[in-house]
Amino acid sequence: MLVELRVNGELRSADVPPETTLLKMLRESLELTGAKLGCDVGDCGTCTVIIDGISVNSCLMLAARANGSEVTTIEGLASSNALHPLQEKFEEYGALQCGFCGPGMLMSAKSLLDKNSNPTVYEVRDALAGNLCRCTGYTKIIEAVIDVGRNMKAETNA
Amino acid sequence: MATRTTDIQTDAEQLVMPRESKAPASQSLALSGGSPVVFPLELPQSESRLSTPAVGQRATRPDARLHGLGQTQYIDDISFPHMLHAKILRSEYPHARILNIDTSEAEKMPGVIATLTGAEIPENTFGPTFQDQPVLAYPIVRHLGDGVVAVAAITEQLAADALEKIKIEYEPLPAVFDPLEAMEDDAPKLHGETNIYTSKVIKKGDVEKALKESDHVFHRQYRTQMVEHVPLEPHATIASWDGNGRVTLWSSLGRITLGREDISRTLAIPQSRVRLIGTVVGGNFGGKNEITNEPIVALLSKKARRPVKSVFTRGDEFVSSTIRHPFIMDYTTGVNNEGKILARKVRLILDGGAYCSWTGTTIGKGSILAPGPYNIDNIHVEAYAVYTNKTATGAMRGFGAPQVCFAYESQMDEIAHKLGMDPLEIRLKNGFTENSLSPTSQTLQSVALKESLTQAADRFGWKEWQK
Repeated sequence: MLVELRVNGELRSADVPPETTLLKMLRESLELTGAKLGCDVGDCGTCTVIIDGISVNSCLMLAARANGSEVTTIEGLASSNALHPLQEKFEEYGALQCGFCGPGMLMSAKSLLDKNSNPTVYEVRDALAGNLCRCTGYTKIIEAVIDVGRNMKAETNA
Repeated sequence: MATRTTDIQTDAEQLVMPRESKAPASQSLALSGGSPVVFPLELPQSESRLSTPAVGQRATRPDARLHGLGQTQYIDDISFPHMLHAKILRSEYPHARILNIDTSEAEKMPGVIATLTGAEIPENTFGPTFQDQPVLAYPIVRHLGDGVVAVAAITEQLAADALEKIKIEYEPLPAVFDPLEAMEDDAPKLHGETNIYTSKVIKKGDVEKALKESDHVFHRQYRTQMVEHVPLEPHATIASWDGNGRVTLWSSLGRITLGREDISRTLAIPQSRVRLIGTVVGGNFGGKNEITNEPIVALLSKKARRPVKSVFTRGDEFVSSTIRHPFIMDYTTGVNNEGKILARKVRLILDGGAYCSWTGTTIGKGSILAPGPYNIDNIHVEAYAVYTNKTATGAMRGFGAPQVCFAYESQMDEIAHKLGMDPLEIRLKNGFTENSLSPTSQTLQSVALKESLTQAADRFGWKEWQK
């Protein structure tokens, strides 16, 4: 079946079997391999993408269900000439070790900051609760997100 | 408890305050808002890695840029034209003899290109300590995670569907799950005549005499559980053969040199015909230290004459990849009235699961570290690793060190409590110092145990917390 999406601002379509998940369509049909398959049951969050402003586990969503929606993946987080502040701070803080949880973690963090530009630690923890990381122990990730939020607040006030 | 959230908030805010770094800012790593996206094709020079002292300075990872951009290529992100996908059917019983395998229905399915059973593997054994593990079990399955048949098909979904068409007849055999039961003479045996497959003894001084002379003797049994590494990237491999009879494998394996040896052994081809490419690993923690599906994928690729990829499901990961050894630990410790440890007697039982894997290293480290970082003149440690019909246990962060640490530190607390001593004081009284001898009589240097304990206690307010 034909599924049409606007992915990272670009209109993309693919003919996929009905059982195809959004993750599979993104990775295999559209060759956007940034979102990862970690568990395939919605536990680990490595497949997180943003659909119409909401972060979702793309391994649990059928591609057909996403037809016609606006999808942002990790590939769309940086602009053509600049990193997203989250990418900068994740790098600076050492929040990415093996990196496998990174794309999902960054998309969940972006989804949070889009709604709440200066979150508390509690809100960051809550927003990232669906993303597992086995390397960092989360501390560096939370620090990085808090730092981005603080800078955003400083810019707004300036 | 009411202030907990606020505390976390304050703590984290303190953590993210800019830190003073002595490292000169490196050009290629300097980041500021709106900086162009740099794709590092060369390793960025991090000054902090080159300067002395590097300790306490923040160092960035050279590969973090691509991680953050989602452009790092893990195995599952790589594909080739005409590539097939493999899935593995695992055992239905914890212990059984395979009587018959019928793959004909699966092979009839359109899109299923090749199947593979254990009988087709040239040398069906591997392992980093003993070669006791089959690539695909045949004719005996020894735990539920044992792979029995592998299928390569044009899609992953089709390969999974094909597994349901495979018929296997088993003759169930008695199984044993408890390591203590497995040590008994009449227990079902997994390999050979006994389930105890490796042991270790460390002796120093005269433990029995010292225990008799002790003012207090403490005895307790401690147990730890199985732990799966859960690397977020499941085990993954791609295999492809060239026209010269050489196989190239892209694998999430962490130890490629050892892996190449095992692959060459199982495929019965010289190492010169095995090209193993280890790419970025999405979490290892010890679980990717030996081969898993590499020979299977290589042989399926050879049969199908097409590249084949296999990625473990999360279920495969839990049931078939190695896990941490559960330990049963009996500790007997004699102390005098002042809290000085006079003797420590330890018995460790390692639940090895169905295969040896990295048990050799685990039992060694676990035994040597079992008495703890304390000056004890009389030590007796004996350790046994035992086969059971469960997931094989292998390497995981520390090779047995965390298990024994849990036991000896728990006992130190119990001793301190009974003697009315401060738990910190009893550790300082007995702890290693410069030139202390380890249980195996190695002279230890650069020992900062007491300084570390004292500093840590000061930093987190141990004395205040004690009130």
